[in-house]
Amino acid sequence: MNTQFKMVVAVLAALLIAVTGVGCSGSGSGESTGDVAEPYRIGAVVSLTGTYAGLGTPEKNAIEMEMKRLNDAGGVNGRQVEVIFEDDATDPAKAQAAVARLIEQEDVIAIIGATGTGQTMALRDDIDRAAIPQVSMAGGSVITAEFDELVFQTPWPNRTVVPFTLRQLKERGLTNVAVISDTGGYGKDGHDIIVAQAAAAGVKIIADETFNPGDTDMMAQLTKIKSASPDVVLMWNAGKEAAIVAKNLKQLGMDVPLVGSPGNGRREFIEGAADAAEGFQFAAGKILVPEAYGVDTPAYDVATAFISDYTKAYDVAPDIFAGHAYDAFLVVTDALSRIEGDATPAALRDAIEQTSGLVGIGGTFTYGPQDHNGLTEADLVFYRVEGNEWVLAK
Amino acid sequence: MSSSELLQFVVSGLQNGAVYALVALGFTLVYASTGIINFAQGEFFMLGGVLAVAGVRFGLPLPLAVVASVLVSAGIGVALERFALRPRRDSGGLVLIIITIGASMVLKSLARHIFGPNEMALPAFTPGPPVIIGGAAIDPQVLWIWGLTFVVVVALTLVYAKTKLGRAMRACSLSHDAARLMGVDTAGVVMLSFGLAAALGALGGAVVAPLTQTAFDVGARAGIKGFAAAILGGLGSPVAAVVGGLLLGVLESLSVGFLSSTYKDVISLVVLLAVLFLRPQGLFGRAGKEKV
Repeated sequence: MNTQFKMVVAVLAALLIAVTGVGCSGSGSGESTGDVAEPYRIGAVVSLTGTYAGLGTPEKNAIEMEMKRLNDAGGVNGRQVEVIFEDDATDPAKAQAAVARLIEQEDVIAIIGATGTGQTMALRDDIDRAAIPQVSMAGGSVITAEFDELVFQTPWPNRTVVPFTLRQLKERGLTNVAVISDTGGYGKDGHDIIVAQAAAAGVKIIADETFNPGDTDMMAQLTKIKSASPDVVLMWNAGKEAAIVAKNLKQLGMDVPLVGSPGNGRREFIEGAADAAEGFQFAAGKILVPEAYGVDTPAYDVATAFISDYTKAYDVAPDIFAGHAYDAFLVVTDALSRIEGDATPAALRDAIEQTSGLVGIGGTFTYGPQDHNGLTEADLVFYRVEGNEWVLAK
Repeated sequence: MSSSELLQFVVSGLQNGAVYALVALGFTLVYASTGIINFAQGEFFMLGGVLAVAGVRFGLPLPLAVVASVLVSAGIGVALERFALRPRRDSGGLVLIIITIGASMVLKSLARHIFGPNEMALPAFTPGPPVIIGGAAIDPQVLWIWGLTFVVVVALTLVYAKTKLGRAMRACSLSHDAARLMGVDTAGVVMLSFGLAAALGALGGAVVAPLTQTAFDVGARAGIKGFAAAILGGLGSPVAAVVGGLLLGVLESLSVGFLSSTYKDVISLVVLLAVLFLRPQGLFGRAGKEKV
C-alpha cells in the first residue's frame, strides 16, 4: 500500500499548489505618465479568467475604450486618466490580493470592480483600510445593503431586480416557481431575496436547488425540479453554467419557461444554449434593445453612441456588463470633473455620492448618503430570446 | 421517488461517469507504463473540446474536426513525454509529476491566449430530441458518449490482452528493466502511453462539449474528477478506470437526488477518502503491488 499511498499524498499536495498557484495577474495599461500633470490613477479589479471571464472581458473592453476616448479629448481637469487592470480569476482571494497590490503599489485613488459579488465583498477590508472609494460592477444586493460609505454599485441590485422579476412571473400566471441558483455570491444573494420576497409577490416556491460555479451538468437537480411540476423554472446566476441549465432542461423534455437574471444577458448564453435559449426570459437594463429607453431621450443617445463605438472597436455589440463598466468609469470620471481643488480619495468619495441625474447605460444615476446604487425598477425591462436575438417581452 | 426519476438520476450519472472514465483511463495508462500521475491529463480533456471547436470554426466538418482534435492532442501528449519528461526520466517520480503540473499550466495559458477566455460551443454530433427510455430522457449526445467510451474500453482491453504491444505495455508496468532486457522498447511504450492517454482525454473533452460547452479552464476540474475515478477504481486496468468513473458519476447524481445538490461534490470526495483509507489500492487494485 505504501508507495501508492505516498504517491497519492504527494500528488494531492502538488495539486493543491497547482490549483492555488495558477492564474495570471493582469498587466498595467501602459499609459505613459504624461508630460503635463500626473494622470489620475484608477484601479480596476475584473474577472478575465474563471467562471466570470465572459463578464469581465467586455467590462475591461468598455473601460479601455472610454479611457482612450476621454484621454484623446483632453482627459479630466486637464489631466489624463490611467486605469490599471488586475485579473481576479473569479476568485475572492485573488481579488483581495489584486486590490492590495493596486492600493499599495499603484497608489490608485479609486477602485472600479469587482466583476462578481463575492469578489466585490472580498475587497472591503482593504478599501476601508485605505479609505478609497469603490464602484462595483456586480449586482448582489449585499454590496450596498451591507452599507459602506465608500462602496457604490452600478448594476441593478438583486433587491431591485428580484421583485420586478417575480411580479413578471405573477402577471404571466406562473405562480408555482422552481428555483435553481448557483452557490456563488450573486446566485446566493439572489436566491435569498427570491425566497424572502416570494410570498409578497404572490408566487410559491415549490422546488429549490443549487449548483456550484463550474459544474457542467445539472440533470440531477432538474430531475428533482421536474418531479415538482413547476409552472416556471427561475434560474439565478451570472456564469457560463446558465447555458447548461437551459440545455439540460430541454434534454429532460421539460416544456416549462425558463426565466433568468440580468447576469444571463450575454451573447455566449444564446450561443452556448443554442435552440434551448429560445423563449428564455430575463429582466435587465435597456441596452440590449435601446429603443426601450425611448428614442427621444438623452439615455437613448448615450446608449446608441456607446453601442456604435463599442461595435466599431470590438466587432461585437456591447452587452449589459460592458454597460456596467461604462457606468462605473463614467461615475468615477464625472465625479473627478466636479472636484475643485485636490482630488483626494475622500473628496472623490463625496463627489461620487453627490452624483445626480447622470445618464449612463444601466439607467440614470442619482446617488445619495443612503443610496449607493442609484437605480430603480424603472430602469429595468423584461426580455425574451427569439431567433437568437433579444426582444422586449410583452 | 418514482422509478423513472431514479432511472433519470442513473442516466445522468452514467453520462458524467463515462466522461470521468475516459479521463481516468488516461491516468491509468500513464501510471501503468511509468508509475507517475500525469497531471496534464485534464488539460488534454480541455484541448479535445477547444481544438474541436477551433476546427469547426476553421471550416472542417464536425467529425473531421473531432478526429483532428484527438490526433493533435495525442501529438501534444507524445511531445510532452519526448521533450519535457524523457530528458528528466532519471530524476524520480516527484520531479516528473511536477513537470506534468507545469505542462498543464503552460497548456492552459496557451489555450487562453489562443482561444480567449470565453466558453465555446460545439454542435451536437447528431442533433435531435432526447430519446425516452423507461421515462428517462437521454440526449442523443449521451448515446455518443456511451458508445465511444464502450468502443474505446473494448479496444484497449483487447490491445492489452491480445497484442504484442499490449504485452509490452504490461511488461513495462511490472518492471521497466526486465522489460528492456527482454527486448521491449520501453521508451517507445512510454511515449505511446502518453499519446494514448492524451487522445482519450481529448476524446472525452470533445464528445461532451456539445452538452457542456468548453473553455480554456475546464481541464482542472476534469482532471480532478478523472483522478478521483482512477483512484476509486485502483489505477490498475482499463476496466477498473471505467468502473471507477461510472461509479463516481452515479454517486454524485444520486447524492443530488437523495440528499441535496449542495453536498454533491462533498459526497464523492468523502467516498474517495473512505476508499483511500480503507482500501488504498482502490476497489480493483491488487494489494501490495510495488512500483518502481
